Formats: sequence, structure tokens, C-alpha cells
Amino acid sequence: MISAGNDIVALNLVDKQRTVLPAFYSKFITPAELSLHQESTISFENFVWLLWSVKESAYKYFKRGDEYLVFSPSKLIVERLFVSTLTDQDHLRADQPIDAYYEGTVSNGTHTLNFKSAINNRFIATIINEGDVYWGVQTIADSDYHTQSEAVRLLALAKLNDIIIADELWIDKHSSGYPYIVNGSHPLQTPISFAHHGCYVSYAFQLPK
Amino acid sequence: MDRKEILSELKKVLAPYTESKEMLDGINEDTDLIKDLKINSANLVDIIIDAEAQYNIEIDFDAAEKMYNVGNCIDVISDKINKTA
Repeated sequence: MISAGNDIVALNLVDKQRTVLPAFYSKFITPAELSLHQESTISFENFVWLLWSVKESAYKYFKRGDEYLVFSPSKLIVERLFVSTLTDQDHLRADQPIDAYYEGTVSNGTHTLNFKSAINNRFIATIINEGDVYWGVQTIADSDYHTQSEAVRLLALAKLNDIIIADELWIDKHSSGYPYIVNGSHPLQTPISFAHHGCYVSYAFQLPK
Repeated sequence: MDRKEILSELKKVLAPYTESKEMLDGINEDTDLIKDLKINSANLVDIIIDAEAQYNIEIDFDAAEKMYNVGNCIDVISDKINKTA
């Protein structure tokens, strides 16, 4: 299945004191996943939200193939996590410097997906990294839902128009909630995913092979 | 506590996390927390923690994942209240 999934967490909007309480993180992080933190140098607060963003991204990826899928973060297990770098194969465009990159795998028990995350002191952005994935992050002035929704579409369409020759690209929304790209009146086989939180928006799309 | 009372209290739990105050006033059991109330998914765990405090209950892994719309939230809260009564 070709799909797309991404997420972004605005770190200024999370409750840092609550984040580190077992009553909070144990709702979606398993004891086995906690051991991944002991092997890494990431702060615990960022570790918790990194895992959240990976699970949310994986849910969006799987949702495209199962419209009745319910988000069950405790059943999406992050199995590997390691420090990474940005390579020539990555197509990330961000308007903020990135401090660190992480990669790893996440599984729903049947399928295992690769992910990649970009972190700085403002946000954690994650994509499911299966194939040729383009992703972008942008800071926006207003954090209301309408502005977020419009900004992420404009950002994605700007990139799409750079690399796809098309008459008129626009974004529609499936009844299940996920976005898809349309050229004129024809849906494209290029899955796309949107995320927004506070003053940050992010897209990810995967070009067919 | 009946479903109507739980719904009334649930509005207070959800209020800090939604911009859609008008929608919140008119919520019913079919209201979706993310699609209708525009609650960011990053706040779903906050809502579960706040609900635990509001109703003096504990919501576990399996129950938490059902809380994607108001009706499901009420089901889970009602079930937990009855078990602790």
C-alpha cells in the first residue's frame, strides 16, 4: 500500500510537567518502548512527544487503507529509535533550523514502517518514510484552525507545483478525513498527509515509484 | 450520575481544548472530538487525564482508545463510574 502519514507537535503548547508524569505517558507508551529512551540521549519530554508524533503519523498512514481504523497509540509500537542525519535522499523544506534528526521503526503488529523525525526547541515533526517522501514545515502567524488548514494546503501545493506538471492542482478531503490531491477533476495517486499544531504546519507526500 | 450529567461535566473537560465554543455548547453523543470540535490530537491524552480527575476514575489503555467521540467518552466514563461505585 502506498500512503502518507505525518505529524507535528508544537512544544510551546505541551504541558512539560504533565508530560513526564507516568499517569500521562503510560497512556500511550509501553514499558518496552520506555527502554528506547534509556538507550538514547534525547530529553524525556521530547522522547514522549517524539513517540506520540510517530504513532500519530503511523495511524494516518494506516488509516488510508482502513477507513474504520481508530487511533490506538498503545497498539502502535515504536520498535527502533536512533539518531540520524539529513541525507541527499531527504526532501525536507523547513523554515526553522533543525537541531537533530531521528529515525526508527513503528509496527501495528502486522506491518512495520520506517519513520524520520526532525526536532528543534520549537517543534517535533515526523513522517512515515516509506519511499520518495517530500515533507515541509512552516511557521504561521495565527494558530486558529482555519489559518492552519489554509496554510498547510498552500504550502503543499507550492511544492507540488514545483515537481508535478499538472493543469490545476487542488486538495480535497475524503469522507474518512484524509486529504488527497486532485488535478483538475482527476484524483492523483500521490498520497498526502497534513499536520498542524499551534503556529506550525507540516505536509508529507509520497511520489509513486 | 446519568448520561446527561456526564455530558454536562464533559463540556467543562473539553472546553480548554477547543476553539469551537459554539459547537461545544451544542455537542451531542455523535460529536467527534477532532473533526467537529477541532481538538488537536495532541490534547487527547490531556482530556483523558482531566476526565480521570473530574470523575475520580482511572481510564486504562484499552478504554482510552475508544474516546474519539462524545458518546464513546460517556460510555467509558459511565462504565468506570459504575465500577468504582
